Amino acid sequence: MAAVAVRRREYGAVFKYVLLLPAVIWVIAFTFLPLISVIQYSFANYVLGEGITGYVGFANYENVLTDHRFWHSIMVTAIYVVVTVPVEVVLGFLAAWLVSLGAPGSRGFRTIIGMPLFALEVAIGYLGVTMFSSQGGVVAVVLGLIGIHIPWLSTPAGGISAAIILDIWRWTSFVFLIVLAALGSIPSDLYDAAILDAKNHWQVMWRIGLPLAWPVTTIAILLRIVECLKVFAIPYALTTGGPGASTEVFSATDYLTTIQFFDFGKGSAMGIVFLIMVAVIITVFFRQMRKALD
Amino acid sequence: MTDHDNADKFAQLAHAFMRGRMGRREFIIKGMQLGLSAAVLTRLTRPSWAAGKLMDSAPEAKYESPVTQERVDFLKTKPYKGTTINVMVLKATVGDGLKYHVPHWEEETGGKINVAEVPIETLHQQIFSDLASGLGKYDAYMTGAWYYGDFFVPKTPYIVEIDKFLGDPKHPYWDPSQFLPAMRRLYEWGGKLYGVLFDADAQTLYYRKDIFDNSDVQAKFKAKYGYDFPNPPKLMKELHDAAEFFTGWDWNGDGTNCYGLALHAKVNEQGFFHFLSLSAPYVISPDNKYYFFNPDKMQPLINSEGHLRALEDYVKLLADGPREEIAWTLGQGWNLFLAGHSAMEPTWGDLPTLAQDPKTSKVQGKIGAAGIPGTTEAFNPISGEWKKYDLNQVGNTNGGSWHCVISRLSKKQEATYDFLAFMANKKNAFFNATNGWTGVQPGMKFEYLPPVGTATLAEFKAQGWNTDDVTEYLKGYYSVVSAPVTEQYLRIPGTAEYWHELDVNVSAVLGGQMKPKDALDATAAAWDKITDRYGRDKQKALYEASFA
Amino acid sequence: MINVLWLRSSLWSRVVVYFLLISAVVFTLLPFLWAAVNSIKTSADTFLPGAVIPFVNFQPTLDSWRGVLEDPQVENAFVSSMVVSLGTTIFGLILGVPAAYALARFRFPIGSNDIALWFLSQRVLPPAVVLVPFYLLLVHLRLIDTWTGLIFCNSTFNLAFAVVIMRDIFRDVSTEIEDAAKVEGARPWQVFWKVSLPLSVDGLVVTSVLIFAFTWNEALFSAALTSQSATTFSALVLASRSTRGVDFNVASVNTLIGVLPPVILYFFVQRYLARGLSFGAVKG
Repeated sequence: MAAVAVRRREYGAVFKYVLLLPAVIWVIAFTFLPLISVIQYSFANYVLGEGITGYVGFANYENVLTDHRFWHSIMVTAIYVVVTVPVEVVLGFLAAWLVSLGAPGSRGFRTIIGMPLFALEVAIGYLGVTMFSSQGGVVAVVLGLIGIHIPWLSTPAGGISAAIILDIWRWTSFVFLIVLAALGSIPSDLYDAAILDAKNHWQVMWRIGLPLAWPVTTIAILLRIVECLKVFAIPYALTTGGPGASTEVFSATDYLTTIQFFDFGKGSAMGIVFLIMVAVIITVFFRQMRKALD
Repeated sequence: MTDHDNADKFAQLAHAFMRGRMGRREFIIKGMQLGLSAAVLTRLTRPSWAAGKLMDSAPEAKYESPVTQERVDFLKTKPYKGTTINVMVLKATVGDGLKYHVPHWEEETGGKINVAEVPIETLHQQIFSDLASGLGKYDAYMTGAWYYGDFFVPKTPYIVEIDKFLGDPKHPYWDPSQFLPAMRRLYEWGGKLYGVLFDADAQTLYYRKDIFDNSDVQAKFKAKYGYDFPNPPKLMKELHDAAEFFTGWDWNGDGTNCYGLALHAKVNEQGFFHFLSLSAPYVISPDNKYYFFNPDKMQPLINSEGHLRALEDYVKLLADGPREEIAWTLGQGWNLFLAGHSAMEPTWGDLPTLAQDPKTSKVQGKIGAAGIPGTTEAFNPISGEWKKYDLNQVGNTNGGSWHCVISRLSKKQEATYDFLAFMANKKNAFFNATNGWTGVQPGMKFEYLPPVGTATLAEFKAQGWNTDDVTEYLKGYYSVVSAPVTEQYLRIPGTAEYWHELDVNVSAVLGGQMKPKDALDATAAAWDKITDRYGRDKQKALYEASFA
Repeated sequence: MINVLWLRSSLWSRVVVYFLLISAVVFTLLPFLWAAVNSIKTSADTFLPGAVIPFVNFQPTLDSWRGVLEDPQVENAFVSSMVVSLGTTIFGLILGVPAAYALARFRFPIGSNDIALWFLSQRVLPPAVVLVPFYLLLVHLRLIDTWTGLIFCNSTFNLAFAVVIMRDIFRDVSTEIEDAAKVEGARPWQVFWKVSLPLSVDGLVVTSVLIFAFTWNEALFSAALTSQSATTFSALVLASRSTRGVDFNVASVNTLIGVLPPVILYFFVQRYLARGLSFGAVKG
């Protein structure tokens, strides 16, 4: 028995690496060179056509950290994430709960409510211009019926709000799908027991559904936060960062710096600073979540 | 003798020279008498190798006109059979224009063309990644005039001159001396030609001629402002008064209140060209040609008193259009005019072109076109002084002026040039200019109506143009592009970045987030940083060279 | 599907539930409906106040539809999108699922949480930062403007989904069943392949749907790393912005046709989603 166990353990030792390493090696191989390049550029002065003209130490980082526009874009992104993610999680959870009640027609609801996840963000952003425009946009028209006129696209607050609304539309279905899968596993007898205990739907959801689906939901939240921090297509297609640079999210600022102006030095430094900031956020978040569960 | 008379006289001279009624030497001498530099005149009249051996057409070259005998003989051998050239273009408009000619060239020469259509967002990145990485997959790139500086950063430029191909009569015939001078500059670098004719952009003031000619409207204006209605506005003050006058009442007769002036001022969307065109007469004058930098040490001039006054005036125009226009993309701004709700719009030739489509336009046959209004007082940022003028009107070549350049890494440069010249051949160039869907505007003299060129109203009418509109359009466009005093395009590396800083800060002013002075000061500071990054001495040298 | 809660609900509860669900559906469909209306408008009517009902408020036109459907590049782009999305999904699963299993079942010198986090961190950097280095890398590998190149890039960034989600799925697969299999003489890879994997099919479906959706949507890498042969549909939609600004009607057509292929695929697999995954919450 012991000999079998030892052999199994040795086999297991190799086996686990065989399973894990391909993925690890792949990611390292594919991202190693680019990451090194980015770090290298962040310490250099890059000019299109000449390449790196010299190394400047931390000058790029200093430039970024004292750049008002960079911090503004971080703030815009932060507002964006802080507003959209909770709303998407709440709405997504609710929708998943309602659909998993199994009311007749739920299959149809399930299909439709999941659809936005497949809509192209770039197209939705452009569509958003026609929806929020004060000239005949459907949102403006509907609100106009009750006498509300919001300058969506010509003010920073309006622009970010419009982008947030579109984002909620687009990404709630992400949470919805993941939570739906989780709720589907809750066995019937649990519900039977719950009904004896609880007075109404709300309590069942709050006392049974939510705790059981919570581990899943945290994954959805984590993934949403990571994606949302680098949001680009929807706000950029909607307002291209304007007026001025007031609705520029971080991705847009970096996109302009790196892709449009080929200022790799500054763009790379920006990226590294951003990476560090986000790594801290998700590490803290992840550890807290795991602690709460284990 | 006013500038206007000189311009007319020069037009007559040019006409005579083009028609062969005057020799080259005589033309240069008479031109110098009008005050033009010999260097300019010489460049304009480079002896054309085929001036005399041209045929109107030939069956082997059925898509070209005029055509040389050498060309006909060359085509008989199906010279490019087995050759494939790769061209990178913008998707839509100008890209479509190029694609139209591809099968025709392939038929004539036996060659094959691979067209890659790329979104405008990543065109610059794609071009320079292809070049800088050494991949060199493409033989020609469709480029915007503001990318030029970036091609000349490395010691050996990324693109090749076309002079060596120009002299060879077996390639399709086109005459660079037909370029309107201001436009030709955008195809050249250091006096040498790199680009082959395609698009030629400039911003003109378009207005509702039918409304402007209406005597009731004119009387109403006079009653309110105390002077005759400016038809069309020639001064900035007149522009502002007219724009204000037309805002807020229903001069259109369709039941909704209308506006005086439409803009498409969205940031990161070519909206900043509005400011470049409208601010030119505050700074550019017969006494000063520098708008962007002081060539002495590349100090930015963008926050001079003249620029500041221009920006303060520009912001006032916002009141004459819907608030949202600060976030409008080009089509949205044009829509306001095309739907008949705006009396004026300073913009590109796409506007009158689109106006000819009854599906999208209510203003066909009602278009007027004029140069961007001027000022009576301009600031000289070099000397730091204001000076008065009777009328300081400034032309421009603002816009993309999209055209193809040949990559240094190409192994089929000759075949590539052949295709580009094919599209510049008179017959094809004229097709481009008359057909609005190509997005191409006329950059060569022959595309204009007499006395400047040889086009006829019938040819335009055949493509769906209203004859009044096209007459106005060409007249206005020509006056802008051939104006004696013109705003020079910025042609140094990093132009896109310099303009972007201006764009963002002007947009912030429009959005009420920044004061004009702070915005321009911030722009100047940003420009200094960019200049230092590229190397101040290099930028200075290139800036000076771009004025030669 | 839970029926007992529904069966025991009052009429009022049922009304409320339907009301909420239908509101959700309306909210979801509204942009698609607006895209449909926009796609048959001329550019002038796009911003005409009150132009909502075709034939009543405005004259519809099929110009934009024709323009898009007759564009040969659209067909190629669709094929590219399908190939790249499917390829990424398959490749991502091949690499990521075994890794996830390893992280769920075995101990490693570095904590499995940290390794999962490291995979997740690949998703953090905005594409713009690494775009040009990736371009240069693909030039080295001669993979510019190829489907393979795009699949490789997308897989790298989407591995995170496979690892993070499947790790939790596997954690939940009952170890008792696995032990039983081992007692019967199954070797570790057989346990993985024949026992754990089939028990986690639903998780695989969720992961596949997500990887597919994310890759389908990815526009920036595609627009920058391809120029012709391998351009995906999402990159093509970026090109609705041209020298004349944005063509909103074409963008509307693109919204509608762009959502079709993934939705059709989703329709066929969605029954797996509701069958349930418990992510470590319920031990069966």
